[in-house]
Amino acid sequence: MTELSVLDEINRLLDADGDATVNTSMRLPAALRDAAALAVQHLGIAGSTTSLTATALRRALETAVTEAALEGHFVAHPHARPSLAEVALALAAQDGSPLVDRPEVVERAAAQVVASHPEADADDVLLWAEAQLAVPA
Amino acid sequence: MRALVLDNEAVQALRDERHPKHRQVLAHLAGVLVRRRRGREVAVVVPTSVRVEAGWDRTRPAASAINRLRVADHTLDAGAANVAASIADELAVSVADAHVGAAVRSLPHDEVVVLTSDPGDITRVAGDRPVWPVRV
Repeated sequence: MTELSVLDEINRLLDADGDATVNTSMRLPAALRDAAALAVQHLGIAGSTTSLTATALRRALETAVTEAALEGHFVAHPHARPSLAEVALALAAQDGSPLVDRPEVVERAAAQVVASHPEADADDVLLWAEAQLAVPA
Repeated sequence: MRALVLDNEAVQALRDERHPKHRQVLAHLAGVLVRRRRGREVAVVVPTSVRVEAGWDRTRPAASAINRLRVADHTLDAGAANVAASIADELAVSVADAHVGAAVRSLPHDEVVVLTSDPGDITRVAGDRPVWPVRV
């Protein structure tokens, strides 16, 4: 299968009727299984270890497949790839942050952050930009 | 939990890589992935009436790229139709705008953000439900 057809097949399976279940042969570390059981029982983080596992797996797959789809789109259309500062500004807008009106601050913060942390993400940029605004000139 | 709802302009921009706001809307989706990687639960939703207005037929080959971005449908089922009908009657808005309002009012998320070309309309159709319209 090509990569796109793989993505389409993963999406089809994620959208399929979830009533059918299967006893999986996946091997979990016993300690992880026991920790999950205790967390379900005492922390109430899910209805069962099965639902905890399935929900976490679904979220991871949905994020991975969307990331792959976006990255594929950016490879095909390089002009469509937003910069780190543009993603940070988008998040600032979603958050209702006053930084949305200070794009120059966000752009400067993005440049400063990636200079020392090349793997920084948009939230790192927002944090750095907010910190700079909080410091009196 | 946050829901990011796409209005017509956002869908139009997402579908067409030549649209002047294509990159801006993709930046919002990239931001959603940043938050998900950090453990936040963020859903991306499109009311099906908005899909109709924007011409997004998921079965067409041309829609394959946008389909891969896993934008969930908010369907205009019986309950949503009743709410949307009430909104349309009260505010004289389009079916799609009324459906956006019904979606905003029914989503279980703590925060509802709408990507829209008309923030004022979104605030009106949301009624008493807190909503954060973001202009695209």
